[in-house]
Amino acid sequence: MSLQISILTPERPFWNGQADEIILPTETGEMGVLKNHAPIITGLNVGAMLIRGGQASGSKDEWNSYAIMGGFALVKQNQVTILANEAVSAENINPEEAKDAFETAKANLEKAEGVKEKVEANFAYKRAKARYQVVKVLKKI
Amino acid sequence: MALRNAASFLGKSLAGAAELGFSAAKTAGGEALTNAFVTDGVRHASNQAVKQRIRAIKNIGKITKAMKMVAASKMKNAQVAVEQSRGIVNPFVRLFGDFPAIEGKQNITVAVSSDRGLCGGLNSNIAKYTRALLKMDPTTSETTKLVSIGDKGRSQLMRTNGEMFTHTFSETYKVRVTFAQASLIAEDLLKSNPEAVKILFNKFRSAISFKPTLATILTPETLEKQLTEPSGNRLDAYEIEASHERSDVLRDLAEFQLAATLYNAMLENNCSEHASRMSAMENSTKSAGEMLGKLTLEYNRKRQATITTELIEIIAGASALMDA
Repeated sequence: MSLQISILTPERPFWNGQADEIILPTETGEMGVLKNHAPIITGLNVGAMLIRGGQASGSKDEWNSYAIMGGFALVKQNQVTILANEAVSAENINPEEAKDAFETAKANLEKAEGVKEKVEANFAYKRAKARYQVVKVLKKI
Repeated sequence: MALRNAASFLGKSLAGAAELGFSAAKTAGGEALTNAFVTDGVRHASNQAVKQRIRAIKNIGKITKAMKMVAASKMKNAQVAVEQSRGIVNPFVRLFGDFPAIEGKQNITVAVSSDRGLCGGLNSNIAKYTRALLKMDPTTSETTKLVSIGDKGRSQLMRTNGEMFTHTFSETYKVRVTFAQASLIAEDLLKSNPEAVKILFNKFRSAISFKPTLATILTPETLEKQLTEPSGNRLDAYEIEASHERSDVLRDLAEFQLAATLYNAMLENNCSEHASRMSAMENSTKSAGEMLGKLTLEYNRKRQATITTELIEIIAGASALMDA
């Protein structure tokens, strides 16, 4: 319980709590944050964020995952502030639905033509992928 | 003469009844009173007109009461959304600080107002503050650009500061305000590379209190300049890790801040609009009720006067016949 984490989205404050470790989907890859991490500002991609040892989970080694649709993360003095466009908790994602959405989005991406369609399809694909990944992680761990 | 006889006759016959006005008719001053009864109906508006007016005011009272209830329920819904959207604005202010007095050649001022009227003094307040803000730094007032969200603010500011307008957004509240809308607007605003964006909106404090508030958002270049001043660059405390340049990350962050603050501003203004409309309609209903009371009294008084006049005429006629 060494990190104070707050996940904020424009619509509402998504989650406030404590945890031991957090893994962020940054633009340069996955980054883990432990206690006493150096202060850092980083951009987040659309992807899965994992939190270990949070208040929500029972044991210290349990991971919770959330799908983050892009945003920023600020880390300073054991305080992690995540500003996300949208955040979904893994429990709220239906596995079959997520898988179907992922397949559909992948197919659409391949079919897309024209800049606008491609950009839209790409975004939808990333979003569906993030949700699918998050649900996979939850089922595995 | 016949009238005087009729009046005294009337006074005798109605003395038993509790008609206070007519006991006065027996006294000397009663003549003037009876004369007044006769000529009253001719000089003032006819009773039909008063009756129509009463009906119209009753209908208006019903409409304003319904509007008040609609506004109250909309406000309750909006309130929840507003309180939740406030959370994300604070970390940005903590990180970047607040510089409301920033001046610059290329500022954009955004006035957030409502699309529909009948909401009290909200929109004129915003227009007043916007004008004052624009006057505050005369050096930049020629180059400051004005953007309005909402029709009412646009029409008020078009009169005095029409040349400054670049964009107006209307009908944003038709469906629920979404973050996507706010980000689109934010992206559009930043296309012209301003130095700072100032947003004026009504902050929803409570159901009876909404204060015009100014939110200032700086673009990265201005931010760097500002933060190298005395207190030192707050951002230097952080190490920025990214695949792109530091300036790119900061630019994205500033855009996100603008979108989130704009979203919050629009929601707050929307909620304030409903609350203000609720209290304006409440006042309207109360005034309509008062007017209705007064008019009903006047109508009844006139009605009784007409009846009295008719009675006097009949009795005068009857007594004339009796004398003859």
